[in-house]
Amino acid sequence: MVVDDEPQLIRVLRTGLKSRGYDVRGASDGEIGLETFSEWHPDLVITDLAMPNVDGLEFCRRLRAISQVPIIVLSAKGEEKTKVEALDIGADDFVTKPFGIDELLARVRASLRRANAPPISDETQVILDVGDFHVNLESREVKVRGREVHLTPKEFDLLIYFIKHSEKVLTHRTLLAAIWGSNYVEQNEYLRVFVGNLRKKIEPDATPRYIVTEPWIGYRFDPGS
Amino acid sequence: MPLRVLNLRWAGYVGAVGGTAFITAVLAPFQDRVNSTTVALAFLLVVLFVALFWGSRPALLASVLGMFCFNFFFLPPLYTLTVSHGENWVALIVFFTTALAVGQLSAHAKQRAEEAESRKREVESLYAQLQAAFDRESEAEAIKRSERLKSALLDAVTHDLRTPLTAIKASITTLIDEAREQTAESQPVELDAESRFDMLEVIDQESDRLNRFITDLIDLARIEAGELRLRLRWGAVDEIISTALSRAKSLTTNHHVKIAAEKELPVVRVDANAVSEVVYTLIDNAAKYSPPGSSIIIYARRGPDGMVTMAVEDEGTGIDRDMRERVFDKFFRATRDGDVATHQPSGTGMGLAIAKGIVEAHEGKIWIESGRNGKGARVVFTLPIGDDDGANHGQELLNHE
Repeated sequence: MVVDDEPQLIRVLRTGLKSRGYDVRGASDGEIGLETFSEWHPDLVITDLAMPNVDGLEFCRRLRAISQVPIIVLSAKGEEKTKVEALDIGADDFVTKPFGIDELLARVRASLRRANAPPISDETQVILDVGDFHVNLESREVKVRGREVHLTPKEFDLLIYFIKHSEKVLTHRTLLAAIWGSNYVEQNEYLRVFVGNLRKKIEPDATPRYIVTEPWIGYRFDPGS
Repeated sequence: MPLRVLNLRWAGYVGAVGGTAFITAVLAPFQDRVNSTTVALAFLLVVLFVALFWGSRPALLASVLGMFCFNFFFLPPLYTLTVSHGENWVALIVFFTTALAVGQLSAHAKQRAEEAESRKREVESLYAQLQAAFDRESEAEAIKRSERLKSALLDAVTHDLRTPLTAIKASITTLIDEAREQTAESQPVELDAESRFDMLEVIDQESDRLNRFITDLIDLARIEAGELRLRLRWGAVDEIISTALSRAKSLTTNHHVKIAAEKELPVVRVDANAVSEVVYTLIDNAAKYSPPGSSIIIYARRGPDGMVTMAVEDEGTGIDRDMRERVFDKFFRATRDGDVATHQPSGTGMGLAIAKGIVEAHEGKIWIESGRNGKGARVVFTLPIGDDDGANHGQELLNHE
C-alpha cells in the first residue's frame, strides 16, 4: 500500500511496483490509509510524512498499534527530525526524495525479507547464524567470517541487538534505550564510542560494511551474505 | 574639583576646624559688643553646615571646638577655660547639647537622604539593565522569528520543487529499468504500453508543474521587487473572463461554471493578460477547494468611484475569517497550514500572492468574503476603469521604460 497526498506519486509507484509483480493500492492520507489497511491487509506499507488530516507520523503510530507490517517512510532532506520520530515510533526504513525506483525496490525487498524471516526468539535459540556472523549466546563466542572476535559485554549486547534487527534502520535513541536503558537516550557519544570499538573488531576495512552509518539518524546492520 | 575636595574624608574635619576658626576670628574683635546668644548661634550654624556636608563625626568635632572657642574667647573670664557665672555654665551646656543634637540630627537626615538617593539610583540602574536585557531579548527573538520564517519559506519552496521531481525521477527510473530489462539481475519488469504511456504522461505533467512553479516564483520576485510592468490597453471585461475560462477549462470539467456579469460593462484600461491571470488563479483555487459537481460563479459589475468589481465564488468549505488576510501571504496554504479537509493537491501558496500583486499594481483591492448564504468563499477584486490621460499608476510605470 502506498500512502501519499500526491496523486501523481501514487500513480508512478503503483505502475513501478506493479511492473515488478507487486499488487498495489493507494491512499491519499493517513486516515484513508488505515481504512484501506484494515480491509486489505497489505504485506508492506510505504508512506509519505507530510500529509493533510492524519499525517505520516500519526499514521505510523496508529498502524503500529494494530500491526507489525513493515513500514517504509518517504521523506525529504530537511525532514530529518520527523523521519527520526517515525523510525522511533516503529517505521522500519526510509527512502529520501527524490529516489530512483531501484532504491525503493531494494528497500521493499529488504523489509519483506526481514518480515518473512523466522523470528529469532531469545529463550530457545543458543546459536545465532546470520550472514557472516556466528554467535553462541551461552558461551558468548562471536565469529565473523570464521574468525573469532573478543567483545566486551556491552559490545556483545550491541552486536546481538544489531543482528536481531538486521537491515532495519535503528535510530540512536532506539539503540541507546535497548542497550543502556531509557535514561541514556540522549547520550549519543556512548553509542559513537562503542560502535567505533565494535567496528574495529568486526569490520575488515576502514569503510564499514556491516554497521553502516545513516547520517543524523542512526545505524543499519547488514550481516553480509 | 571643589566638589571632590568636599567629598574627601578629612575635608569634614578641616571644615569643622576652619568654620569654627572663621567664626571665632570674625566675632572675637567684637567680643565686648556681641552677646553670647549671637555667638552661640553662629557656632551652631557651623555645626549645622558641617553636619549637612560631612556627617556626624566632623559635626561632633565642630561642636566640641565650638564649645571651647565659645568658652575661651567669649565667656568671661576671657582667654581661660574656666567659667565664672552659673548662667554661663548653663549657656555653655545648652550650647553643647544643642550643637550635638543639631549635628547628629542633621547628619542623620543627610545620611537618610543620601541612602534614598543611592537606592533610587540603584533602582534606576537595575531598571536600565532590565530594559537593555529585554531589548536584547526581543531583538534576538525577532531575529530568531525571521530565521524561522526564512527556513519555513525554504521548506515550502524545496517541497514544491522536490515533489514533482520525485514523481519524474521515479517514472524515469521505472522506464530505464524496463529498457535494460534483459541485463537486470533481480525481479523481472513487466511494463505494458499503457503503463509506459502513463509514466511519460506523469513526466510531462510534472515538468509542466515544475515550470509553472518556477514561473510563479519569478513573478512573485518581480512583484516584490516592484518590477511588475503592466501593459495597459483598453479591453472588455467579458473578454478577460472568457480568456481565463478557456485556459482553466481542463480544471473545471467537474464543476458548473456560471458567469453573472452586468450587461453594460465599461471597457477598462488594464493589462488584460495579467488580469486574466488573476481570474484564472481564482478559478483554479475555486475548483481545487470545492467538491466536484458544485458551482463556480464569476461576477463582474460596475462599482462606485470609477471602479469595476469582479469576483469568483465557490461552494467549498470557505475560508475562516482569521485566515482571510493570511491566504494572500506568499507560501501560505490554507490546506496544509489551516487543515481544510480536502483530498485535492494543495497549491504552491503563490497564486493569491501574485493575484494580489497584480491587482494592487492596478491600484485595485482584493479580499475574501463568504459566498451566498455564508457558504463557500468569494474572492473579490476591484480595478479602476482608467482613462486616456494615463492617470493610472501602471501607466506611469510604463512611461518610465
